[in-house]
Amino acid sequence: MINRQISIDDLREIASLEDMPPQQLDRLASVVMAQTYSPGQLIFLEGEASGGLWFVQKGRVKIVKQSLNGRVMGLCMMNPGKCFGSCPLFSIDHNPATAQAVDEVTLLIVPPERLQSLVRDDPQFVSALLRIYSQRLLHLARLSESLGVWTTGDRINDCLLTYADYDEAHPVVRLTHEKLADLAGTVREVVTRHLSSLEQERIIRVELGQVTILDISALSLPCTSEKLNRA
Amino acid sequence: MVAIRAEMLSELTWMQKLTSGTVRAFEASASLVAYPSGAAIFRQDDPPTGLYILRSGRVKLCRQSRARKQILALLMPGDWFGAESLPTDSPSPYKAIARTPVQSIYIAPQPLRELLSSCPDLQETFLEITAQRLKQYVSLVHDLAFRDVSSRLAAVLVTRANREGVVTDGGICIERLLSQQEFAEMIGTAREVINRTFRRFEQSGMLQITSTSIIILDLDSLIEIAQQETS
Repeated sequence: MINRQISIDDLREIASLEDMPPQQLDRLASVVMAQTYSPGQLIFLEGEASGGLWFVQKGRVKIVKQSLNGRVMGLCMMNPGKCFGSCPLFSIDHNPATAQAVDEVTLLIVPPERLQSLVRDDPQFVSALLRIYSQRLLHLARLSESLGVWTTGDRINDCLLTYADYDEAHPVVRLTHEKLADLAGTVREVVTRHLSSLEQERIIRVELGQVTILDISALSLPCTSEKLNRA
Repeated sequence: MVAIRAEMLSELTWMQKLTSGTVRAFEASASLVAYPSGAAIFRQDDPPTGLYILRSGRVKLCRQSRARKQILALLMPGDWFGAESLPTDSPSPYKAIARTPVQSIYIAPQPLRELLSSCPDLQETFLEITAQRLKQYVSLVHDLAFRDVSSRLAAVLVTRANREGVVTDGGICIERLLSQQEFAEMIGTAREVINRTFRRFEQSGMLQITSTSIIILDLDSLIEIAQQETS
C-alpha cells in the first residue's frame, strides 16, 4: 500500500469528474488516498460491509458476482478512469459484488466517512456520482438482456467488442479465455471453442493472453440500433 | 397538460425527505399523464426521457434484441422509471410499455435538469433511488447467471407475493396480469418451459392458477426454490 499526495491532475484523468470545477477537485484531492494492489489481489468481497468510492488510476479491476457454488459471473472490467463502489452510501450496506485486481493496480480511494460529507455538501460531486450511476444502470440493463436472450456466442463477441483496446491498428483484447468466460457468463472451454471458430473464419487472431480483432464488422450483435460504449 | 396535486407527492416515501421548497418546485414542473393499455410510453434508444412516477396501473420495462425480449421490471404504483440516462445524455436503455391503463406523474427532461441543478436535496434523492435500481439490476444479473428457470420463476412469484399479494383464506393471491409469454420474457426462457414449470408448481401443491389470479398455497417452498443456485 502507498499513501501519497493526490493532485488535481490525477483526478482529471477520471472521465466522470472532468466537468468538476478546480475548487471542488482540490477538495476531493485532499481526501483521496492512493493504494496499490498486486494482480489477483482482492479489493473487497461481495457481502462485506463496505464504504467508499474507488477510482482506477492504473491497471484493471474486475467486478464479479459469485454463486453459492463458486461459479463466477463478471459484471464488468474497470479500466483506468473508471469508478466503482459507493452503493453503501444509501442503505445498501453490503457490497453487491466482489472487486479483484487483474494487473498491478493503483486505486484512488474516497473513504466512506469523507464520501458522506462530500455528498451532503457538494452538489457538483453528487452530479458526478449520478453520471457514474447512470452509466452503470445502462451497462447492467444491457447485461441483463444479454444473459436473458442472447446466445453465448453473442455474449463472447460482445465482450470482445466491449473490452478491446481501440488504440491499436487492429483492436486488441488483453484477456485470458478464463476471464472472457467469467465476463460472458460461460466456461473457458466454450470460449476457446468459439474463438477457434472465429479464428478459422479469419475474424480474429488468438495469441497467448490476447485476442486481435481483424474484422470488426463480422462480430455483429443482436441489439438493434445501439451505439457501443467503447470507452 | 394536467397539473398534479401536492398530496400526490406526499404519498411517495422518497419525497418525504425533500424540503417543502423542493416539493413545491417539483409540483410546479410536473404534470399528470395517462396512457391506454398497450401504449409505448417511450422506446429503447429514444433520447433521454423525463422522470415518470407511476400513480396507477402497471408498466413493464423491456429490452429487445432481434425477435426476443427481456423484461427488466414490472412496475407498481409508487415506482419510478425513465430519466436514468439523463445524467449521461444517452439513449433510453429500455422501452416502457403500459401493461394496463396507466396514470403517471411526469416531469420533462429540461425542467428535471433544472430542478436537479437547483435543488441539491432532489439530486441526492435521485441518486439514492438510482442506487436502488442498480441493486435491482445486479440481482437480476445474478438470477439470470446463477439460477435455473424454476428458481427464477419462484423468485418472481415470491417478490410479487411480498409486494402485491393479498392474503386470503385460500392462500396469497396475486393478479395473474402477465401472459406465459411475458413470464418467459421476464425469466429469460421460452413460453413452453414456463408452462411446464407452472404445471409442476401446481402439481406439487405450491400454487393454483385461475383465469385471473395466481394463488400461492405454499410460500415457504417457493422461497426455498427461489434461493437455489445451479452448480
